[in-house]
Amino acid sequence: MSLLYLVLVSLVLGMLVGKTTSFDFGNFYELMLYLLIFIIGVDIGKSKGLREELRKLGKMALLLPVATIIGSLIGGFLASMLLGVSLKWGLGIAAGFGWYSLTGPLLAAYSPVYGVVGFLANLTREILTIIFYPVAIKRIPKEVGIVMGGATTMDTTLPIIAKFGGTEITLLAFVHGFILTAIAPFLIPLILQFF
Amino acid sequence: MNIFIPLLAGILTGYLLKNKVKISIDKPMAVALLLLIFFMGIEAGRVEINAFKLLLYSIVFASFTILGSLFVALLGVRR
Repeated sequence: MSLLYLVLVSLVLGMLVGKTTSFDFGNFYELMLYLLIFIIGVDIGKSKGLREELRKLGKMALLLPVATIIGSLIGGFLASMLLGVSLKWGLGIAAGFGWYSLTGPLLAAYSPVYGVVGFLANLTREILTIIFYPVAIKRIPKEVGIVMGGATTMDTTLPIIAKFGGTEITLLAFVHGFILTAIAPFLIPLILQFF
Repeated sequence: MNIFIPLLAGILTGYLLKNKVKISIDKPMAVALLLLIFFMGIEAGRVEINAFKLLLYSIVFASFTILGSLFVALLGVRR
């Protein structure tokens, strides 16, 4: 069973337990959150060779993540206006860039409901990228299409991009996802604290 | 606790362990993630929520963030 299914099963199981029991789990949630953030930090700290890869790819490797950051935040801003959601949550959800397993728990530390929205919205971004990337690149440059996947282009949506966009943009997609993966854990808490 | 403390501690640990210890963090990360999602589900389950509204919000946010990214990239990114 893939991790995505296990994640969905965990979420549904947790919601059922929360709905049907009143058992107190104390601060397990916070402990798990800090443990996960620590592990993500270890992963970022031990990665290597990014500077060299960036040099090979040129300015496109930096411009695409910047476009994704600005565009996602504009999208989050417009969505929060349309739905009447506070800007804090709208931008926080958008700053996940598709990284649902990080965004959901981070937002849930402030609001369980927006934690679930953050989780589902970013999961939906991943699913929509898998479905629509192959369609979108028939009309737009395949390199530009990478921005759809946000942070997921370094792992879950990378095979789709490689298969339909071609192996020559795989490295670009990976670097794009890597940069956003390094930024999201800092940007989401910053937004939640300052708005 | 501020979220930056475990994050920076992790980055420092990862940097210090780089090239010294070969560790796979995939499994610990998956276990921590599944437990975290489970506990998040419990927190959400205790709050009255409208499932349809949540789904609608999720689709709107996902679509707008994707379209916003594409718009800015098409406007500003040239080879």
